[in-house]
Amino acid sequence: MKKKVLAVLLSAAMVLSLAACGSNGGGGDDAASDSGTESSEGGNKGYSFQMIVKSFQSTYWQAAIQGVEQAKAELGVEVEANGPANESDIADQVQMLDDAIEKKPDGIALAACDTKSVVDSLSKALEAGIPVVCFDTGVDEAPEGSVLATVATDNVAAGAVAAENMFPVIEEKVKAATTDAKVRIGEVNQDATALNIQQRGQGFIDKMLELCTGAGKKVAVVGNEFYVNATEGKVDEKEAEVIIEVGVPAQTTVDLASTEAQKIMSKDDTIAIFGSNQTTAEGVITANQTLNKLSTDPEKGIIGAGFDAGTPQKEAITNGQFIGSVTQSPLMMGYEAIVTLTKVADGESVSDIPMDGYWYTKDTMEDDNIAPNLYD
Amino acid sequence: MGDIILTMKGIDKSFPGVHALDHVDLEVRKGEVLALMGENGAGKSTLMKVLTGIYKKDSGTITYEGKEIEFKNTREAQDAGIVIVHQELNMLGHLTVAQNLFIGREFKKGIRIDDRKMNEEAKKLFDRLNVDIDPTETMSHLTVGKQQMCEIAKAVSFDAKVIIFDEPSAALTESEIEEMFKIIRDLKKKDIAMVYISHRMDEIKVITDRVTVMRDGAYVGTLITEECTKEDIINMMVGRVIYEEPKTESAVPKDAPVVLKVEHLNAGRMVQDVSFELRKGEILGFSGLMGAGRTETARALFGADPKESGDIYVNGKKVTINNPQDAVNCGIGYLSEDRKRYGIVVQKTVAENTTMASMQDFMNGIFIDKKKETEIADKYVEALATKTPGVDQLVVNLSGGNQQKVVIAKWLTRNSDILIFDEPTRGIDVGAKNEIYKLMNKLVEEGKSIIMISSEMTEILRMSDRIVVMCEGKKTGELDISEAKQETIMNLATREIE
Amino acid sequence: MANKKAFGGLKGREIMVLGIIAIMAILFSILSPTFRTYPTLVSVLDNSYYITLMALGVTFPLITGGVDLSIGTGLVSYALIGGYLIVHQNVPVAVGILACIGIGLLIGLFNGALVALMDLPPFLATLCTCMITRGLGPALCGGFGVSWPSAIAEAGAFRKIFKFTTATGTVIPVGIISMIVLVIIMSFVLDHTRVGRYTIAIGSNKEATRLAGVNIKFYHVLAYVISGFFAGLAGVAYAATYATIYPGSGAGFELDAIGGAIVGGVSATGGVGTIFGSFLGVIVICLMKVGLPFIGLQANWQQIFTGIVLIAAVLIDVVKKKE
Repeated sequence: MKKKVLAVLLSAAMVLSLAACGSNGGGGDDAASDSGTESSEGGNKGYSFQMIVKSFQSTYWQAAIQGVEQAKAELGVEVEANGPANESDIADQVQMLDDAIEKKPDGIALAACDTKSVVDSLSKALEAGIPVVCFDTGVDEAPEGSVLATVATDNVAAGAVAAENMFPVIEEKVKAATTDAKVRIGEVNQDATALNIQQRGQGFIDKMLELCTGAGKKVAVVGNEFYVNATEGKVDEKEAEVIIEVGVPAQTTVDLASTEAQKIMSKDDTIAIFGSNQTTAEGVITANQTLNKLSTDPEKGIIGAGFDAGTPQKEAITNGQFIGSVTQSPLMMGYEAIVTLTKVADGESVSDIPMDGYWYTKDTMEDDNIAPNLYD
Repeated sequence: MGDIILTMKGIDKSFPGVHALDHVDLEVRKGEVLALMGENGAGKSTLMKVLTGIYKKDSGTITYEGKEIEFKNTREAQDAGIVIVHQELNMLGHLTVAQNLFIGREFKKGIRIDDRKMNEEAKKLFDRLNVDIDPTETMSHLTVGKQQMCEIAKAVSFDAKVIIFDEPSAALTESEIEEMFKIIRDLKKKDIAMVYISHRMDEIKVITDRVTVMRDGAYVGTLITEECTKEDIINMMVGRVIYEEPKTESAVPKDAPVVLKVEHLNAGRMVQDVSFELRKGEILGFSGLMGAGRTETARALFGADPKESGDIYVNGKKVTINNPQDAVNCGIGYLSEDRKRYGIVVQKTVAENTTMASMQDFMNGIFIDKKKETEIADKYVEALATKTPGVDQLVVNLSGGNQQKVVIAKWLTRNSDILIFDEPTRGIDVGAKNEIYKLMNKLVEEGKSIIMISSEMTEILRMSDRIVVMCEGKKTGELDISEAKQETIMNLATREIE
Repeated sequence: MANKKAFGGLKGREIMVLGIIAIMAILFSILSPTFRTYPTLVSVLDNSYYITLMALGVTFPLITGGVDLSIGTGLVSYALIGGYLIVHQNVPVAVGILACIGIGLLIGLFNGALVALMDLPPFLATLCTCMITRGLGPALCGGFGVSWPSAIAEAGAFRKIFKFTTATGTVIPVGIISMIVLVIIMSFVLDHTRVGRYTIAIGSNKEATRLAGVNIKFYHVLAYVISGFFAGLAGVAYAATYATIYPGSGAGFELDAIGGAIVGGVSATGGVGTIFGSFLGVIVICLMKVGLPFIGLQANWQQIFTGIVLIAAVLIDVVKKKE
């Protein structure tokens, strides 16, 4: 008797978690009901696509889904969205990707958590003849012909944008640095495995290094080994006047990111810090709750900048903790991903669509081309 | 002695396959200590469990203080004033003495438990009983003897009118027993009736007023302690007619070689300086009451439990046995008491169980040679007449007797020459019992040697060539079957050597 | 007061943990000058609130010899639901907080029913509940994360229970006072009320307690209800510190709480444990969480180190038992 009850409970638990997974694609459920009833303007293509997002961790993906909704309505296609709970649940995402391939959709839109882990699944998709479009982050080692297009922010450029906007504010301090009185610029990246984060983080480091060297200073890079090893043109810590310190938390959670941020921000020589996505930006903001060191005036405190949006980050910009952040166009990315898949299904040829990252500040937040991307 | 306070009449209780209590009577008076005696399985504990509501009787009446009662659980019995001091102590080791005493009926001040008051009351209780125990001490830190005292004190604190002691002195030292007797005498003066379950003749003689004897679930009779002898009691305990022919003489020649010699085996309280020999082709019966230490001796010999000292010789050569693997390698096999727990692997098949102790002989490289396994299993199923639809049948589905045969097959596959059977026919029906007996005789005819631990007198007398009797960890006697009688054995089983 | 106390009413184990905390703090301070600053202290405490609350609650099932694995994903789901109600359904913050705690209570009741009434092994039962709660929040809230009101917002007033920022910008971790108050209250419950007494008794010898006439089913269920209640409180604390709740996260939080309790002296087999000990154990865990990154240990080494400390704690427990 007890064994039966246990079995029933376990089944119930599994069913519930599956249901939760299913409705994790908040857009997913709606998609099924939408495509039937909505009389679309652009047409009634009737394709069925699968979408795998990195996770539903941050509200960034909510904006992407919004874009997807728009595309669905316009084109009259169905999209079922899925994603793991955490952006570090790489295995879960690979499983979901494989499941999506099994469903034999007309196409798959993928935002990969780990570029290397999805390579096998991409081969499977290629064999099954299912076109794949990557969005938000690309897969650079994808098998030939498996990924037809990548709709992503040029993350290297986006990271550089942050550096470019940050540098003028701290320029004085950088120029005044010496080997005995170094300055430290911090960066917190949520991981070292996703291509977009890698590119972004590296983009910031490389541009900052270029700008500092241009101002006549030598730069050292310390911290997480991946980024340290990937940077060229750096010198030893002893010889440097500027140190770029990179922190990566053990897991992609805000509390761990905030500890990394705090570690950097509590050092006396830190003059600036950059959080390369919503989670790490929030980590910086949380750390500041205790340290209260951020300021838009380099004489008064540490200069902070972030990436993406979300309520805490928007507030941080509005009330003077961050000088600004870089936003992607998650909405457009989601939209373009579906549009591209539809084109592929129609038989048209497609190519990569790089999207820009826009720097926004307190003053430009309301602008027409920026505001829609600043999700909560 | 005062008036009768408790009468049990015609109590009958059966469990599936066992008629545990057969119209048993019992009568206890105020202020008396009534001994309740009998062999293992006589029904003493069962009777007390019926009284205190742990078991429900099938028929019969219980009259307490003039009224007919039936308790549904121990709490009801407790509240009415009937309390058992258990053999296995029911205590909460992590709490203090006082907290244990008053568990479930704590003194409270609002929602706060008044530990201070509890400590005071406990101290008062202990003073009344002339016992020296600190109420704030953690229970698990006390000696077993002192824990026993706490149990007794707890019973007294319930304003008990009837206290039942179940083998109370088993774990106590001499002086602790004396202290307990002092308390008992004190309680007698307070008119409390006590039932004293024990097999220790000397204690019975000292502390009890009357003796009630049970045998095979039935009431035999009651004697007045002062007026009877130890032999009288033993006669009542064992005085049964034995239907099966007991063995009259040993089947083993006097000059048969000694296959196993155990000298000065020591393993804690239950195995004290035990020495014996086993000869080839012999069935050596190990008799004694529960707690005598027979299983413990076997386990220490087999390496299943650590031993402090002792020398073991197999076929004249000294061997080192520190774990079962060593024992098995010497050719010793052990069929344990609790078949299901230690003998068979329930979820596996007959074939798999048969080869369990000899896996290395059934390997084909790194794979198990299933064909060979099946062959040997078939061979023994036939040889032992094991009733099973096939060797792929899960052992859990076989009857007790047939499961036992699978266990025997396991040791035969291993070519064990020395077999230790611990309660070989427990839980097995009569028909299957006989088959096991036939099997055992066949085995010794083929040259194997068997040590048979048994609590059934009939079985001991029927099968053994020689008998070793143990009592409380010590070997109290050794008899050839030709001179063995029930009374002699029981005498040895209840003797405590200084 | 069930177990012997050394000086000042502290048990030996608790003194040892205090010693460990001191050694760790000194070690980290030496290895990282930025560690021994006031903001770091505040950070350690900040990180500790939600874990402390979990630990206070889970100590009860642990003492009965069981465990509650659902508190990690639980607290996130409860906070998610509460936050969702506040942000998307516009209920007052107080109601959101009550909802968070209330759902925790209900799930605790569910766990209690599974373990105490239906006799399921606690490890399995609460693992299943863990899976359920992991999906429960996202299922009810549309799948996305939600951010509780921040400190500057008006609705963010509730955060002041945990952190108070004065006009001059100094941050005072008042939460620690709330924690100490709760530790005192729950210690009292464990040591001096029947709830606590019977919880220990059940962990010590469930059958004997039953035979003594105690309604063990009630008290056994209650242990899990307490755990669920505190998981709800932990959800609120988490929201007050980190604002954004990411759905589906939280798996692993319970290990910090349970690990803290075990370091603090709770025995994995039941019958032993104190509230103060659990509290101290959590401080050890949080010290490591914050300290290890500060002394430059990279992410993976942090986890290895924490795991080793936990194994050591359990080993000490096992060795002591053998004595």
